[in-house]
Amino acid sequence: MEAIKKIFILLGSLDRRIIFLIVGLSVLIPLLKPDWVNLPIRPTPESQIVFDEINKLKEGDKILLSFEYGPSTKPEIHPMAIAILKHLYAKNIQVYGFALWPDGNFMSTEAFSEVSDDYDKIYGIDYVNLGYKPGQEAVIKGIASDIRTLYTVDLQGTPINDIPMMKDVINIEDFDFVFSLSAGFPGTKEWVQYACDPKNIPLSTGCTSIQVTDIMPYVENNQIRGILAGMPGAAEYESLVERELRKMGKPGKPGEASGMMAAQSIAHVVIVLFIIFGNISYYITRKKIRKG
Amino acid sequence: MITAEIMGAWLVVLLTLCIFSFLYKDNPFYKAAEHLYVGVSAGYVAVISFWQQIQPNLFGRLWPKLEDTGEVSVLKSVWYSVYEILNFISTGFGTLERSIFPEGGIKGYDEIRLMYLIPFILGIFMLLRLVPKLGWLARWAIAYIVGMAAGLRFYGFLNSDILMQIQSVAIDFTADWGSIINAIILFIGTMTGLIYFFYSTEHKGVVGRLSRIGIYFLMIKFGASFGFAVMGRISLLIGRMNQLKDYSAAEYNYATPIILVFIIISLAIWSFMDGGNKNESTA
Repeated sequence: MEAIKKIFILLGSLDRRIIFLIVGLSVLIPLLKPDWVNLPIRPTPESQIVFDEINKLKEGDKILLSFEYGPSTKPEIHPMAIAILKHLYAKNIQVYGFALWPDGNFMSTEAFSEVSDDYDKIYGIDYVNLGYKPGQEAVIKGIASDIRTLYTVDLQGTPINDIPMMKDVINIEDFDFVFSLSAGFPGTKEWVQYACDPKNIPLSTGCTSIQVTDIMPYVENNQIRGILAGMPGAAEYESLVERELRKMGKPGKPGEASGMMAAQSIAHVVIVLFIIFGNISYYITRKKIRKG
Repeated sequence: MITAEIMGAWLVVLLTLCIFSFLYKDNPFYKAAEHLYVGVSAGYVAVISFWQQIQPNLFGRLWPKLEDTGEVSVLKSVWYSVYEILNFISTGFGTLERSIFPEGGIKGYDEIRLMYLIPFILGIFMLLRLVPKLGWLARWAIAYIVGMAAGLRFYGFLNSDILMQIQSVAIDFTADWGSIINAIILFIGTMTGLIYFFYSTEHKGVVGRLSRIGIYFLMIKFGASFGFAVMGRISLLIGRMNQLKDYSAAEYNYATPIILVFIIISLAIWSFMDGGNKNESTA
């Protein structure tokens, strides 16, 4: 018993750099050897709702896809953007890209260029990238009332009046759905508050894990139709889209997030173990100090 | 052959490992990468804000393409002479080529909107913070921003976060048992959580017990938030690791292992030198 206590005390005084190293290895090893850990991906009800809502859209419907993330949150959000674009393109839905974050321009450009060619989509007819405008929630308010007060040109500098798919688009009411790819402020919350609630436009979101508990009340209240929660949400959506594309006879490359889930799971196990060991160690040490 | 892609990969790996080196301890590699990140981010936001908002949406509304605005009058000519003066200044008194103010006005709008002189002037006031004697004028612009943002946010919060969220607390007794139990838990959590933040009465007796239940609900919320935060951070680590793994291939000239070895050796040398000790003692 004393030996076990000593081990726990030793674990409690472990140098933080060793803990960093172990967590790093727990991420790196499953990435290097993905065959070692093969965990199934089961969609949560919230991811399923997102998929069903988008799947309900008809050919020619218009979706506003807002890019509110940057390189720092790319691993979580970008796989969602790719999976959603695949889903939308397969269903021939018109995609209108906006960015509320300056770095969103890079992300949207990369996502569109990665998927559009595979589905033979033409810029200006099947999708458009309007880019970033500074102003945070004021931009959302502008999109809700009149897009042209903010956007005169798209990201490439083409006047929006010369873009065929912008012809009948005046404000948010001309869209059938809004999807927010959000990593913070301004993002999903602001879409709810300034556009989708007041104008009654269906909204779904794919957000970073850290935002999930803040967004959940809106999801529970149906102000947001489902949520893709961080990397697991992206992996779940990828699996749903993959299944749907196979059904439609349009199979594609497997998604990026699914391949990273093994690393995520192992790292979580390691962190949980460290939390448990840390607490036991703290408890034993405290007891020892009290005894003198 | 060294291509732009390979150079980009080496830069990505170098900056990632520079940031990761902070896990060992604060060091010059980390500081350099941090400063570079702050500088590049600020520069990028400034440039993009100017070219995507100020130039087309402010100057473009004040001085749209003259030929698109209809008949040319004397007043318009005078107004566009201001435009030319601004162009003269922005081109370094004629030494550079026109870029901000193109010939004959900015394409996009078809009428002059003088109303936009107000944000233009307020914007100039904001910049006057740099002039100590006139810095007080910036308060007017800040007052406008604060007032506008408060008004805008008030409506959003009131509608989506208060009214609609209160609706969701209502229990629908016609629903299935599972939903009713969920709704009751939500109701109890909301009420007790609110009682915990009610400071007008001392938290004793019934109020004390209810606020204690409120604390438990809050603890569960914080626990969930912490769990999600860990998940998010690990996801980001996975993203970086994945990229480092990709860039360790021969097609990128083994960027990751080479730079990793370089940083480890450099850090080891730095740690043995005075600089490392000095840094540690001041930290």
